[in-house]
Amino acid sequence: MMPILEMILRPACWLLLAPLLPGIINKVKAWVAGRRGPPVLQLYYDLARLWQKSVVMSKLASPAFIILPAVSWVALFGAALLMPLGPIGSAFGFRGDVLLLIYLLALSRFCTAWAAMETGSAFEGMGAAREVSYAVLAEAAMVAAILSLSVQSGSISLVTMLSPAAGPGMVLLAAGLFIVLLAENCRVPFDDPNTHLELTMIHEVMVLDHSGPPLATILHGASMKLLLFSVLLVQAVLPLGGLSSLASTGLLAVGVLLVTVGVGITESLLARLAFKRVPLLLTVAFLLCLFALLSAWKGGNS
Amino acid sequence: MMTGLLLSLAFVALTAGIVLGAKCPRVWLAANLSGSVAALMAALGVLAGNPDLDWRSGFLLGGEPLHFRLDGVSAVFLTLLAVASGAGAVYSREYWSDHHYPSSAPRGRAWWSALMLSMGLVLTVSNGLHFLIAWEIFAICGYFLIVLEAKKPAVRKAGWLYLAASHAGTMGLFAFFTLLATRTGTWDLGPLRDHTGLAPLFWLVLVGFGVKAGMFPLHIWLPSAHANAPSHVSAILSGVALKMGVYGIVRFSGWLPVPPAAGWVVIGVGAVSALLGIAFALAQNDFKRLLAYCSVENVGVILIGLGAALLARSHGDAPWGRLAMAGALLHIWNHGAFKSLLFYGAGSVLHATGTREMSRLGGLWKTMPWTAGMFAVGAIAVSGLPPLNGFVSEWMIYLGLFSATTGKSPAAWAAMPATIMLAMAGALALAAFVKAGSVIFLGAPRTKIAAKAHECGHWMRGPMWLMAGVCLTIGLMPAVVWPLISRAVGSWHPAWSGGQTPAPLSSLGSAHLGLAVLLVTAGFFLWRKVRANGLRRDLTWDCGYAAPTAKMQYTSGSFGGLAGAWFNWFFLPIRKLRRPRGQFSGAAIRLETIPDTVLARVIGPLATIVMRISTATRRLQHGRLQSYILYVLAGLVTLGVLVLIGGKP
Repeated sequence: MMPILEMILRPACWLLLAPLLPGIINKVKAWVAGRRGPPVLQLYYDLARLWQKSVVMSKLASPAFIILPAVSWVALFGAALLMPLGPIGSAFGFRGDVLLLIYLLALSRFCTAWAAMETGSAFEGMGAAREVSYAVLAEAAMVAAILSLSVQSGSISLVTMLSPAAGPGMVLLAAGLFIVLLAENCRVPFDDPNTHLELTMIHEVMVLDHSGPPLATILHGASMKLLLFSVLLVQAVLPLGGLSSLASTGLLAVGVLLVTVGVGITESLLARLAFKRVPLLLTVAFLLCLFALLSAWKGGNS
Repeated sequence: MMTGLLLSLAFVALTAGIVLGAKCPRVWLAANLSGSVAALMAALGVLAGNPDLDWRSGFLLGGEPLHFRLDGVSAVFLTLLAVASGAGAVYSREYWSDHHYPSSAPRGRAWWSALMLSMGLVLTVSNGLHFLIAWEIFAICGYFLIVLEAKKPAVRKAGWLYLAASHAGTMGLFAFFTLLATRTGTWDLGPLRDHTGLAPLFWLVLVGFGVKAGMFPLHIWLPSAHANAPSHVSAILSGVALKMGVYGIVRFSGWLPVPPAAGWVVIGVGAVSALLGIAFALAQNDFKRLLAYCSVENVGVILIGLGAALLARSHGDAPWGRLAMAGALLHIWNHGAFKSLLFYGAGSVLHATGTREMSRLGGLWKTMPWTAGMFAVGAIAVSGLPPLNGFVSEWMIYLGLFSATTGKSPAAWAAMPATIMLAMAGALALAAFVKAGSVIFLGAPRTKIAAKAHECGHWMRGPMWLMAGVCLTIGLMPAVVWPLISRAVGSWHPAWSGGQTPAPLSSLGSAHLGLAVLLVTAGFFLWRKVRANGLRRDLTWDCGYAAPTAKMQYTSGSFGGLAGAWFNWFFLPIRKLRRPRGQFSGAAIRLETIPDTVLARVIGPLATIVMRISTATRRLQHGRLQSYILYVLAGLVTLGVLVLIGGKP
C-alpha cells in the first residue's frame, strides 16, 4: 500500500505545491511594499486559464517551439523526482544521481534557449545568450557545492549526501547556493520577473513569444525549479537525516517557506544588478561554494 | 581464427577499394562497406569475448617479421573506425560525387580506402618499425584527402599546416620507437609493464601522439584542417583520425610503465584542453571551425578520464580508476558518433548553401528539416545532455572523479579542479551548440542563399540516421556496451578486467529510458492539446514591433560574445572599430577576429624568426665563383689556424 501511495503522493506534491512558491514571494513583496498584492494562489488561476487558451505562434518557428517546453518541463519534473524529500527519500536514487539532476537542469536550459531562438527575435536571442552564458558560472558554483557536500558526507548519491549537516562550511554553502538559486530562477538581483522592459531580462524574455498551454508548462516548470532549488538548499544545510520523520518534514517545510520569504525580502530590498555585475556576483557564489568545499575537506581531516 | 579471417577480408576489400576506387564508384562502395563490416565483426567479436588475435608471420618487411595483434584496446578503436569509415563512404557518394567534382572525386575514393587501410594497420600492427610506416602512410593519406580541393589557397594552407604539424609529432614518435627498440633490443611491441626504466619514454608518447590527438596546445593544425577539408573527411578526421593519437597514448600508457607525474599531467592537459577548446569553439563564426574546436574539448574530456585512470593506477589500483577509464574509452565512441553526425549535418548545410559563415544562414529548418533535426540530436549529444550518449560517458568520468574526491586520496587535488573545469566546459558546450544550431537552422534566413537551400538526398541522410541511432542506443542502453568497454579496460590494465556491470550504470540506463518515454509522451500530449485549443501563425511578437527583419536577429557573434568575452585575456582578439561620428556619419564598423592564439602568437612568430635566420643564411649561396673560392680559402685558413693552436693534427 505504502509504495503505491508514495508513487502518487510524491509527484502530486511537486506538481501541486510548486505554484505556491511564486505566490508567497509576491505576497511577501506586496507586504513589504505595503500593498495588498495578488492572491497567493494567483499562479494556479493563471495556469488554469492559460491551459484553456489557444496558441499564437511565430511564422518563423518550427513545431519544436511547442514541443520543447514539454521536454523542458519533463526534464525539471525528472530532476524533482530525483530530489529526496526529507524522510521519504527520493523516488529513484543511485550513485551519481546528483549529476543526472544537474544535467537535467541543463537539458531544460537547452530546450528553453533553443525554443527562444526559434522566433528570430532579437530580444529572445539576447535572453538566450545571457541564460546560457551565466549558466557557465552558475554550474561551476553548483558543482563546487555538490563536491563540498560529497566530501562532507563521503557519498555521491543525493539521499545520503543531503541527510547530514553541511559541516563547517555551512554558512558559506548556504550563501553560495542561495545566490545560485536567485540566478537560476531569474530573481532579483539577476533578473526582474516584474519588469516589462524586455531588454533587461534573462529568462522572462526568452518566453515572450510563448502562449497558451506551452506557456503554462513553462510557468509551472519554473515554479517546480524554484521549489527544487529551495528543497536542495534546505536539505544541504540542515541535518534532516538525524531527525524523526515528522520533525524533518516540518523542518523541511519551514525551511522552504523561509527560503521563499527570503527570496521575497531580497527582491523587495535590492535593485536589479547592472548586467556587468552579474558575472561578478556569480563568481562570488562560486568562490563561496569553493571555500565551503575547502573547509569541508579540512574539517573532515582534522 | 575467425578474427584473423575477417581482418584479412577487410584488408583485401580495402586494397580492392584503393585499386578500383578511381574507376568504379559502385564497386568501391561495396568494397569499402564489406571491409567495414568485416572489421566491425572482428572488433566486436574480440570485445564480446573472442580471444585476442596475435599473429606472427615469418615474412620480413624492412628486416622485421610481421606481427599483428588485436586486443581489447585496439578493438575499441577499430570498431569506431569501421563504423565511421563505412558511413563516410556512403555519405561521400552524394556529397563528393563524380558529377560535382569530376577531377577530385575518383582520387578522393582511392585515398579514402587507403586512409582506412592505414588506420586499420596502425591499430593492429605490433612492431615499432611497421607502426611508424603505417603511421606515416596514414598521415599522408590524411593530407591528400584534406587537399582534395587543392585549387583553393586556404585549403592548400590548411593541408600544409597539417602536414608540418603531423611530421613534428612523428619526429617525437621516431625518437620514442628507436629509444624503445634500443632499450628493449627488439622492435617488437608488447606489454612491458615491469620495465620501470622505460617510464620516461611516456613524455615522448604524450607529445608525439598528442599532436595528432589535437590536445591543447598542440592542436594548431586542427581547426583549419577540419574546416577546409570536405565534410566527410572532416568527420573521419575528427571522429577517428584524432583518436589514433589517443590510441597511441592509451596503448603505450597501458603497455609501458609511466612516470608518477603522468596522471597529473594528463588530467591537467585534458582539463585545459576541454575548457579552452570549447571556449574557442564558442567564439567561432565558421561552423566547421566551431566543430573542430569542439573536438579539442572532447579529446580533453577523454584525457581527463585517462588521467584519472592513470592516477588511480599509481595509487594502488583504486576501483574508481576503472570507471574513469571506461568513461574515457566510451567517450571515444561517443565523440566519434556525434561528431560525425554534426559534420555530416554541417556538410549538408555547406552542400546546400555553399557557405560556412553562420551569420549568413538562418531559418534552414524549413528547407532542410531532416538535417536540422539530426543536427539538433547531435547538439544535445555533444552538450552531454541526458538521455543521449554524451552524458553517459561524461557521467562515468564524473563518477570516477567524484569517487577520487570522496575517497580523499591525494588524487583528489587533481580530481576536484578537473571536475569543476569539466562542468564549466559542459555548460560552454551547451552555449556553443545552442548558438550553432539556432543561428544556422532557426529564425529567419539572413541571406538569399539561406532562403534557397535544399534538403540533402538519401545517401547523405542515411549515415546521419545511423549516427543518430548510435547516439540514442548508447544513451538509452549504456549497460549493453559496458561489457565491451570493460573488456578493453581489462586489456589496458589487467587488474581491472572482468567484473559485473556497475549497478549505477544500469540505473542510469533505466532513468534514461523512463525519461525518453516521458519526453515523447509529454511532447506528443502538449502538441495534441495545442492543436485542440487552436493554433494561429503570426508575426514574431518582438514587443509589438510590426516590421521585424532578418537582420535584427541575434547573430553568432552576438550570441557567443558574452561568454566569449570572459576569455579575451587568452583569445587576444584582433579588433577593427570605426565608430559612427557626426550628424551624417558614414559607415560604422566593428570587426573582431579571433585567431588561434597558440598559432598566431607563439608558433607564428617563432616560425618567422626561423625563416629570417634561414633567409639570412641563404645569402651565402649566390652562385658567384669568386666568393666560393674565398669560402674555401677561409675554411682552409681557419683549419690551419686551429691545427696550429691545437698543436696536434
